[in-house]
Order: sequence, then structure tokens, then C-alpha cells
Amino acid sequence: MDLSELERDNTGRCRLSSPVPAVCGKEPCVVGVDEAGRGPVLGPMVYAICYCPLSRLADLEALKVADSKTLSESERERLLGKMQEDGNFVGWALDVLSPNLISTSMLGRVKYNLNSLSHDTATGLIQYALDQGVNVTQVFVDTVGMPETYQKRLQQSFPGIEVTVKAKADALYPVVSAASICAKVARDQAVKNWQFVEKLQDLDTDYGSGYPNDPKTKVWLKEHVEPVFGFPQFVRFSWRTAQTILEKEAKDVIWEDSAPEDQEGLGKITSYFFNEGSRVCPRASHQYFLERGLESATSL
Amino acid sequence: MAAGVDCGDGVGARQHVFLVPGYLKDASKMKSGLMFVKLVNPCSGEGAIYLFNMCLQQLFEVKLFKEKHHSWFINQSVQSGGLLHFATPMDPLFLLLHYLIKADKEGKFQPLDQVVVDNVFPNGILLLKLPGLEKLLHHVTEEREIDNKKYYKYSKEKTLKWLEKKVNQTMAALKTNGVNVSTRVQSIAFFSGDRVSTDKEEDYIRYTHGLITDYIPKELSDDLSKYLRLPEPSASLPNPPSKKIKKRKKRLSVSGL
Repeated sequence: MDLSELERDNTGRCRLSSPVPAVCGKEPCVVGVDEAGRGPVLGPMVYAICYCPLSRLADLEALKVADSKTLSESERERLLGKMQEDGNFVGWALDVLSPNLISTSMLGRVKYNLNSLSHDTATGLIQYALDQGVNVTQVFVDTVGMPETYQKRLQQSFPGIEVTVKAKADALYPVVSAASICAKVARDQAVKNWQFVEKLQDLDTDYGSGYPNDPKTKVWLKEHVEPVFGFPQFVRFSWRTAQTILEKEAKDVIWEDSAPEDQEGLGKITSYFFNEGSRVCPRASHQYFLERGLESATSL
Repeated sequence: MAAGVDCGDGVGARQHVFLVPGYLKDASKMKSGLMFVKLVNPCSGEGAIYLFNMCLQQLFEVKLFKEKHHSWFINQSVQSGGLLHFATPMDPLFLLLHYLIKADKEGKFQPLDQVVVDNVFPNGILLLKLPGLEKLLHHVTEEREIDNKKYYKYSKEKTLKWLEKKVNQTMAALKTNGVNVSTRVQSIAFFSGDRVSTDKEEDYIRYTHGLITDYIPKELSDDLSKYLRLPEPSASLPNPPSKKIKKRKKRLSVSGL
């Protein structure tokens, strides 16, 4: 899988896809949607779709695509290789969402939470398949959250298509299993070849599974805290685990838009304008200067 | 421009960042072309920093922009404090007025070098080197010439007339630059939903008078107010209702980068 575009710039998102098999443009197809790397605090999250004609579902099943989590890394890569070999009826596409994108979305002033990000990405990929000329008639989606609302939303976005959202869909539907394999292979590769933008000394690449409750991962995080800048961009700052470590190990930050009670010694601006006692001079500057944060320089 | 100023207190040169008009570039390259001097602030009577262009004999006042938690990265060094200084041209007559008014207590006509005498801020004599001094003084003094020597006495009437010209000039500049002069205090960065687009003439005069008051002694400011026939301030506009910042904001902004 050629992830060189991601290796060049891993701060945003990147889309990869296979060419659309000819038969997928003609015959009615089924699309499976799954993701990999949603839970870890390290590395990107990958959303993938896999599609094939309804008539060839049996062939897909014969490849023995199963729940990607039960397969080893090499088994997954082998299966992906097989799918690509027999690529005359199977197509795939995926979106790699960098940890930086996840963090900035979740921590933005206008909150864009992980669920919304995920749903929008899935929707985007399905639309992409349609735009590429795939004759989509059915979509199967694996879900983490509530399937009912998710299914309703997706069905609304794609009225002419039969949408099924189910938990553990990757174990139930071969197209979803196939998508799950694509996603996992991409995520593993992205993590393995991660280009650290930060010039880190003694970079330890042994970060365990990347899941927040993995002790190895926690140790890695603690060892890679920078007191001012926090973590490398490999880390999802929006994760509770990461935030806790920053609170303990990194420098305190005073934010400019803290509530007024937090700021000490800030006089009320009205005190400059009312006649407090009989002050002649010195007095505060004119409103023109106050509004612009200007004062006379009395020393250098 | 950033310039190193050795305070001589062994802490190493503190660097200051200045924004100055472009035409000072040549003077800044000459040794002692630009001098920072401490002179009397004509409003407060205390010391303030001024900038002298020794080449062209111009006076600049120095304002500084100060906010919390700022630093400058200057080449490879970090200067804490992050102050930004502005040097803007200033009419030296404001400074001379301070001395003329003070000297007027004696009620006599005096030569200028007797008027501008300051033990606290000796650099005041630099003012005497300014070109076109006599023409300047004409605006604010009565003049007598005896034996080829000039003697000056402060004239309140002339000064008020001169200040009125300043007021008009300043008002025009405020209008041209769209400066908000309403009685409501608001931040420059604030865009009001119910913007009062027509600031009244009265607001302009009052605002300008206030601005000029920063440059003259209080008594003169009061006289100017009467001279301009400034009405008493009208009932101020009600402030917009304050927005309550919810407590939950605190939790979100504490950690993470």
C-alpha cells in the first residue's frame, strides 16, 4: 500500500484508493465501511470502504476475510494482497486522518467531536465511491456508537441506497471485514513508518499498542513530553490520557480568555473614568490611548 | 527597529523594540543621531522619555504598548516583557508651554534661556536648539525686543486660540481615520451589533479636548473647556448587557496545547 503521500505530510488527511473495477460500474454493488485506530492515543485513524458486485460476494467470502482483529498482521497483509490480485472485482478506498487533525478537530473553538468526524468521513467515502462510478445499492457499516441514529443519518444522506449499520458488522458481512483489513493494514503501516516532524533525540519507537491503557504506551508518553510544546504530533492531544500527563508534567499555561476571576490585579476599567477623590495629575491617559493599550514611556 | 541599550546594571543589554517613522532611518545610523532624553511631561509634571532627532532637530514622544505575557524573539535572543515602543512626532510647543506657564508666576517678560531652566530635567535645554523657535513661540506668547534680545511672556489668550486650532486639526484627523469617539468605552477590536454610526459633533469636540488635555496642565485644560464652550456631558448611553461567561469554559481551556 503506497502511503508515501502521508509520509510527506502527516498533519492533515490523505485519501488512497484502488482503481474501480469495470464490473463495479455496471453491476449492483455492496459497500462495506469500517475503521481502524479509533481508540489509540497514538497515530492516525483510518476509515476504509471495500466494495464488490453483489454477485461476487461468495468469492469475497472464499478469500476468508474475517474479523481483522483475529488475524495477524502478516495474514492481513496477505489477504490485502490477494484482494488486490483478484482486483478485477474488488475495489477499496480509504481516508487516513492524522492525529493532528483529530486533536485540532476535537479541541477547536467550535467543537467537532470524534463521532461527527467519523461519520462525516464515512459519508465522504461512500460519496466518493458513487462519484467514481461505483453502482452502489447496499452499504454495510460497522459502528461504535448507537446504530439507530447513525443508520438514520446515513440513510438520509443516501436515499436511494439500502443502509445497514450494525455493531460488529465486520464479523457479519464480508465486505465490512475486507474494509476492516484495508483500514488495519493502512494504520499499521502508517504507524510503523511514521515520520516524526519533531527533531527528537533518542526516539524510542517501542510504544506498545498505542492504546491509552497499555502500560508501555503510557510510559512512552511520559518519556516524550516536552514541557512547552507538549507531545510530538504523533500523539492525540485531545485524549484524556495525554491531557492528564500534560497537566502533571508540562508547564502551566495561562490562557488569555480565562474568566476574569482568574486574573489577579486587573483593575476595573471604569476606575479610570470616574473621579476618584480629587486627583489632578498624575491621571490615567485619555480613552484613545487606553483603548489601544498605549501609555507614556517613563523610562527605558 | 531593535536597539541594544546597556543599562549598565550588569544584567546585560536589554533590547527595546521601536516603531519609528521611516524618515528617521538615516539619523538612526549616525552616532548620536537619535537621542532618548528624559524631559518633563507637560501634563503630569513628571518625567517621560522623548526622542530627539539631532540631525533635523525634531521632537518625538514615546508611547509604549504593553500587554501581559509577551516576549520578543530578536534574532537568536529572547527579550522578555515584549514591549513595543512608538515614536511619534510631537509639537515641542507643548513642552515649552510648560516652562512658560511656570515662569509666568513671576509676571515678567523673560529671555528664553531663563524660562527653560530645569534642574530636574536638564535636557530641557535641547528645546532651545529647535529650529523656528521664534515662530513657534509667537502662538503662545507676547514678545518684546530690547537691545536685540527677545523677551517672552506667556499669553493665555493666544494659547487658547492656538489650542483651538489644534482641536480643529485633531478633530479632522479623527474623523478621517474613523476613530470611535462615543462616550461608551469599548475595545478597538469590538464590533458592536448596534453600531451608532453617527458620532455627534459634541462627542468629537469633547473627545479631542480630552486628548489634548493629555498634553497640557490641568488648569489650561479647564480654561480650554470653557473657551470651547463644552457642555456638561450628556447622559451616557446604557452599556449592552454583560455576557455571563459560563464556568464550564474553565475546564476546557486548562490543559492540552
